Order: sequence, then C-alpha cells, then structure tokens
Amino acid sequence: MKENKDFYVGYIDSVAPKTKKTIKGFVLAAFAILLAIAAIFAFTQNTAKNSYFEFGVDTKITGIYHELPYPMLQVKTEENEYRNIVLLGFGKFSANPYLKKIRNTTKPLSGSTLSIEGNLIYYNGKTLIQITDEEKVVLVTPSDAAKIPQPIAMVQDMELQGEIIDPKCYFGVMKPGKGKIHRSCAVLCISGGIPPVLATTDENNISKYYLITDTNGAPIHQDILPFVGKPSVIQGDVYQLQDWYQLRIDVSDIQDLNQPSTIY
Amino acid sequence: MGLDYQTVLWNSHKKKYDLWIAIGVFLYLLTFIGITILTNPETTAETLIIRAFGTLAIALLHIVLLIGPLSRLNSRFLPLLYNRRHLGVSMFLAALIHGAFSIIQFHTLGNTNAFYALFTSNLEYDSLTNFPFQVLGFFALIILFLMAATSHDFWLKNLSPKIWKGLHMMVYVAYAFVLLHVFLGALQQQPSLWSISILSIGFIVIASLHLKAALQESKIDKQTAIKVEDGWEFVCTVDEIPEDRAKIFIVQKERIAIFKYENKLSAISNVCKHQGGPLGEGKVIDGCVTCPWHGYQYLPANGQSPPPFTEKIATYRLKKIANEIYVHPEGLAEGTAIEPIAL
Repeated sequence: MKENKDFYVGYIDSVAPKTKKTIKGFVLAAFAILLAIAAIFAFTQNTAKNSYFEFGVDTKITGIYHELPYPMLQVKTEENEYRNIVLLGFGKFSANPYLKKIRNTTKPLSGSTLSIEGNLIYYNGKTLIQITDEEKVVLVTPSDAAKIPQPIAMVQDMELQGEIIDPKCYFGVMKPGKGKIHRSCAVLCISGGIPPVLATTDENNISKYYLITDTNGAPIHQDILPFVGKPSVIQGDVYQLQDWYQLRIDVSDIQDLNQPSTIY
Repeated sequence: MGLDYQTVLWNSHKKKYDLWIAIGVFLYLLTFIGITILTNPETTAETLIIRAFGTLAIALLHIVLLIGPLSRLNSRFLPLLYNRRHLGVSMFLAALIHGAFSIIQFHTLGNTNAFYALFTSNLEYDSLTNFPFQVLGFFALIILFLMAATSHDFWLKNLSPKIWKGLHMMVYVAYAFVLLHVFLGALQQQPSLWSISILSIGFIVIASLHLKAALQESKIDKQTAIKVEDGWEFVCTVDEIPEDRAKIFIVQKERIAIFKYENKLSAISNVCKHQGGPLGEGKVIDGCVTCPWHGYQYLPANGQSPPPFTEKIATYRLKKIANEIYVHPEGLAEGTAIEPIAL
C-alpha cells in the first residue's frame, strides 16, 4: 500500500486533510461518471413508438361479433368501411373468460351486435380492446349470420419474414412490446389465449400484420410458443378479413432464423 | 466497534456518506429520467422505472467494486471502505426495484406462477442468441439480497467471519451474472457502441485494479526469513518500524504485525477478527492497535480487545539482539499475554 501518515477511524470525527482531499476527488469523479453513465444509457435507448393503451379509460364500441377465429368486433367506421377490433381480456388472457356469460345466454353469439366497454389499444391502423368486466359486454341485437364477414383467399404458399408477437403488448400496452426482452411476456400472453400475430417490416419500414391460424383457420396457441419473439421465416396461405390479414400455417414450416431480435 | 447490535451505529461520517449516496442516486435518476422524457416521450412509466433503476444498479455496482482495490492500493480511500455497506445496500435496492418491476411487467397476470414463468417461458438455455437472460438477473438479485440482508455485524458474528466473507465474495459472481444479463438481454436487443464501451471499460478498470492490488499483496506473502537462529527468525531492525505503526511479516505462512509503541515492541496476528482487516496497516491509538478498515481495537501485549469487548487474536514472541528483531514463528493461543520487548 502507498505509505502515508494519515490514519482514518470512522468513529473519530477528525479526518486528515490529504484523506479528505482524496475522498472529495473520488466523490466528484464518481458523480461525473454516474452522470455520464446516466446520459449514455438514456440517449442510446431506441425511440419508443407512438402506440396507445388507454389504461383506466373506458370506451364503448358497438359492432358485429365474430370469431374468425379469434374474438373480434367489426365496427363500421364509414360507409362500407369496417375496422375489426381484436377483443382481449385483462392481463395476459384472451377475451373468452369475459364472453362466457353472454355466450351462455346468446346462441349463436357470432353475428350478434354487441356493445362492449373497455380500454382501447391502438397503433399503426390496428385497434384492440381490453375487457375487464363481463357485465360491460351487452347484447344489442341477436345474431344475423349474414352479417359475419368472410375471409377472402389472397395468396397461397407465401413466405414472410418477421417476428411472432402478442398484439396486446405490441400495439400499445408495452414499449417495447416485441423482441428478446419482451419474449417471455409474449409467450405468456399467447399461451393465455391472446392471438399470435406475425409482424413484418419491409425495406421502407412499413409494417404489416397477420393473425396466425392453423391450416384450417382454427386458433393456434401452444404449438407456436417456441417461435414467439424471434426473427423467423413463415410460409402459409394469406387471407384477408377486411382490415386484417390472416396467415394460415403449419407450425412445422416455421424457420427460426436464430438471429438476435431488435426493438421496433 | 459495538457491544450490542443496533440497525446502524450512526456517526457523523456515516450520515455524511449516506447524504452523498442519496444525492448521487437522485442526480442519476434525474439525469436518466429527464433525458428520456425529453428525447423519448412515448416511453411508458414502467419501462422508464425498469431502465432507470437497472442502469443505476449497474453504475453503483461498479463503484462498490472499485472501493476494495482502491483502499488496498492507497489508504486514503479507506473512509469509502468504512462505509461501503450502505452503498451496497443502496445498490441492492435499485436492483430490487428493477427486478420487481420487470417480474411484474413481464411475468405476472398470466396463466402460470410468475417465478415459474421466469424460468420456463423461454427454455433455450443451450442457445447464446436466445438464452433466457432474465434468469441471470434473477440469480444476481438473489446474491445481492443475501449480501444486503447479512450486511450487519450481527450476521458477521453469527455466520462466522469466514462464511460471511465467502458469502460477500459472491459479489463477483453477481457482477458476472449482471454483465451477462445485460449483454444477452438489453444490449442484444438494443445494441449500442456507447453502452457496450462503458461496460467494457468498467470491467477492464475493475479487473486491472484488482490485479494490481493482488500483485501487491502477493509480494508480502513471498517474503522469506533471511536469518534463523535457534528457531527464531530475523525480521528487521528496530528503526525500520515507525512509531505507533507496524511492519508485516510472514511466519509459517501466517501474516504477523510487529508494532512499535511507547518504546516497546509487540507482535500479533495481522488478521482482524472483524472482517480480516490488515492490522499491520493500522495504528496504535490510545495504547490500542486500531484496524484501518473499521476501527476494531486490540491491546498489543495480549491481542485482546479492550474490555468490555471480547475479540482475541494470536500473539507472537519477540526477542531483540542489539538492534535486530527476531520472532518465534509459533503463534501463541489467542489473547495470550506476552511481556513487550523494551527498547
């Protein structure tokens, strides 16, 4: 150790001047380093997107309920223009627990006009709603099968590259709502019944979203979990359901690119 | 030193030290949160909290790890060592806020237990790219919790200094886990040359200072006896030891400290009973050898802490031939009184 005549004892008040000077220098340097670290970590964060989750704010929407294959509400926005709002439950769950009561009293539910009050989630042209109370799902008019929108086949065997995300977090609840950091959460959300969505981004940074189903257009959850939150190449048949694409896939066709995920 | 256990044995230095920790933490959070709100206004409150406290914990962990080797290299840094516990506990609290908010945000409100989900929602433990980095952070937090929870002399005494020290040396394992947690998580998703650089520089500085301190320590242990007469080892001449101070020697692979005080010489073990501090780097104050780390005291003639304290260390026999000091390498039982050598 460097020899010096100073000797510090914590419970004795006096401190030798040179020791005091050394400690002052250390504290100043530590503060400068702390502030530099804070600035570097703060400035190097990727920009969070302008997605929204209206937590605590209830909005009432009315439209045609359908399950093609995930619970959605088709809401008319303008003449001949519709937005299909994905219905979700509280936390990392689907809307199904909150639809149980109305399903028991209204058969069939698909094609019915429902009024639903919940918290809106929206980003990049897509809207979802979180239902937190089954009493806020109200029947307006009974089912009319003719009103159920039908998916239209678009492209067969299309190959798409992107990341399978859970739409609840991606479209507003969390920022970032995709990538490696979010992966565990996305796995829990999809495992809990939230529909898996493939998010793709082209060279012009334009994103497209595909609700993923199995080859028969049925819901898919557990089988897809190993591929959630990772860059992948997916092959399937593309259908269009008004403002949403559907991608019907065989899970065994998913190719894990084994690349690090990046935010946004 | 304390006879009974209190939560904190406050003194003016500790109060001043804690005030500066609080100021540092406040300025860090103000800077990080302020810059984020101004440059990245869409960030959610949860993400802001997770990132602000996670990065604060990393910054404080680096400072905590610097204090040890700096104090070994220059005793003027010892006031930082004396009060290091409070900085360590502050660092743990920042890490706890980061960890708790992350577990709540990413792992609760699902169809399985949050802690079970932490370990099972990503099972690619055999992949570097996809490794579940959260698990590394969780284990680091457990280590930091154990350290913070036992960061008190009650635990030091009851666990025994050896076990306590071993537990607290786990901070290096926690540091390794934290680095891997960050490199396989945040920096993989959000690569930044600046962030990677400061963490790399931090590691290099910490590793270099530890190596330098270790090298200095190893020089002491390499000492060998120059001359042995009838089992007594020559160590130095009287004038080589400063008044009220000591010189450290190795006998039978043990470090001993020979003190010169009040025209007398006494030899005791160099290892303080409290946290293994180097008594030979201490000073005789009010007739007592005072440890440079936390001020524990021993009477040089018998290795006993002055009453009512009860700590005892081994003592060693000395003899003086002319101006030369000889030590008998066989230590006596802890607390054995030996008549000091008169000068």
